[in-house]
Amino acid sequence: MMREEGRARRFAPMLVLAAVTAGAPLLAGEFHLRFLAEILLLGTAVMSLDLLIGFGGMVSLGHAAVFGAAAYAAAVAAIASGGSLPLVLGAGIAAGTAVAAAMGAAVARTSSLYLLVLTLLLGQVVWEVVFHWRDVTGGADGLRGLPPLALGPWRLDGARALLLLAGGTAIAGLAIARSFTDAPAGRALAGMREQPLRMSALGYAIPAIRMRAMLVAGAVAGAAGSLYPFVNLYVGPGSAHWTLSAAMIVMLVIGGSGSLWGAWLGCAVYLGIQTYVSAWTDRWQLVVGAVFVLTVLLLPSGLAGGIRALLRRRA
Amino acid sequence: MDLALVQVLNALSFSALLLLTGLGLSVVLSLMNFVNLAHGSFYLLGSHVAVVWIGAGLPPWLAFPAGFVAAAAAGALLERFPFRGFYGRPHLMQVLLTYGVSLILADLMRWGFGAAIRAPGLPEALSGVVFVLDLPFPVYRLFLIAAGAVLGGGLWFVLDRTVWGALVRAAVADRGVVETLGIDTRRVLAAVLVLSAGLGGLSGALGAGMLAAYPGLDEEVLILALVTVVAGGLGTFRGTVAGALAVGFALTFSKVWFPEFANAAAFAAMAALLLLRPGGIVAPPLRQV
Repeated sequence: MMREEGRARRFAPMLVLAAVTAGAPLLAGEFHLRFLAEILLLGTAVMSLDLLIGFGGMVSLGHAAVFGAAAYAAAVAAIASGGSLPLVLGAGIAAGTAVAAAMGAAVARTSSLYLLVLTLLLGQVVWEVVFHWRDVTGGADGLRGLPPLALGPWRLDGARALLLLAGGTAIAGLAIARSFTDAPAGRALAGMREQPLRMSALGYAIPAIRMRAMLVAGAVAGAAGSLYPFVNLYVGPGSAHWTLSAAMIVMLVIGGSGSLWGAWLGCAVYLGIQTYVSAWTDRWQLVVGAVFVLTVLLLPSGLAGGIRALLRRRA
Repeated sequence: MDLALVQVLNALSFSALLLLTGLGLSVVLSLMNFVNLAHGSFYLLGSHVAVVWIGAGLPPWLAFPAGFVAAAAAGALLERFPFRGFYGRPHLMQVLLTYGVSLILADLMRWGFGAAIRAPGLPEALSGVVFVLDLPFPVYRLFLIAAGAVLGGGLWFVLDRTVWGALVRAAVADRGVVETLGIDTRRVLAAVLVLSAGLGGLSGALGAGMLAAYPGLDEEVLILALVTVVAGGLGTFRGTVAGALAVGFALTFSKVWFPEFANAAAFAAMAALLLLRPGGIVAPPLRQV
């Protein structure tokens, strides 16, 4: 009985993601489908950040560099040799994993403040390279003129195809992250967050556990990042800047860290506010700042925490 | 050789600026364990105030104290709410809170001071060049080096040699014991944050003559100050001095050697430094529980 209930709860977020992906094309137009795809992709990256922050206690300010490097790698690969889906995904996952591996090697032995500053530094190195390497990345202008995505004979260039890909990435990413947190490596990660000294006394190698978490998070964020340029057929240096890393953290906190599925909620709220407020006033950055402050003051455990409390009360 | 000397002077003037900004951040970070990502905003506020002050025809030498006072006042307000409630909270929450505050301040400043790049009209005595080994060098940068040395030395004296400094260090080492002595540590910590914000504003006022003032400068300065403090080693005065010199020289010389990828090279060098010496150049004694 307990197990059945647990299983239902585990698969509910995936079913919701699948339902949103399948149902939205019936209700929404081109603009909203692309917006939804953006939420699903960025939310997947935020969900992978949850592995580091929510489960590992590693507050990384460099996750946008992982995401952005994957986006650029995918865009460059697509422009060079056509938008074949396996190529684009492969380039993005490889780039994301590589950047995450470099970051993991750097931060595996540090914690708290040093980890924060090291990830920020390494992330900004990636941004500086992206911003200044004009021949390949287009510098401040970014890259445009991406070829349409294709899988064998099928062209995947409409908003519906994009939404399907984004939804598939989100569901696959959540499944990977779930299986990681349930595996011994994921349990060890959470144990290390709570009791690092006891875990190393038990014989766990903390740097190796953190490295594994970084690699999984990097690969998932890389897959999401590889499709991100195709949302607006554009990728710019902002996708690798540390301010996006900070925004990802706030999306995570709005959604609720440690829940995994809260990431998409937080991402939807954040991007919704950003999109609609910027259409309404020039002072939208002020509003974004206020969202950060209010989140921390009013919602420290996020929407997921609130929803869970509601469900528990009803049960 | 002569050119190298000019570059060394350039690096020193930049280091002086980093030292003053970094000291403000360092006292709050190491003494209060509070990650203040709004520190760059205090810097930019000081810059803007100095530009407006000099532009309004007020005595230019008073622009620097004006920058200090403006930023300290902003710091005092923010300390009351919302910073005070977050001193004991996890870094994650502090990062989000102060980053949000910095976004708000950045937008308010863009609103109030405009989005253009604004440089102050420097007073006569500071605006010329002197010849160093036959090469022209701006007087203002020499003034920055001197100001950094004097103010840094003064701050070291206050924190290291006076009873006020001892009180602050004691409140950080063991807050409980200091409170049993009948001292309100909340006011001590508030004073430290106000001083830190003021230092940020003062260095902004000083730096305006070299870097001007524009939206986005706050984030650039914040990152450099964070790197300075952490690379130097938390919690020591000597560490921040060493960090400021390391970052100042790394940035200046990477601009000479790799003009295109200057920041990337300098950041990578500082990251490498942190990997080799995880505690910073001057590592504080480790305390493990």
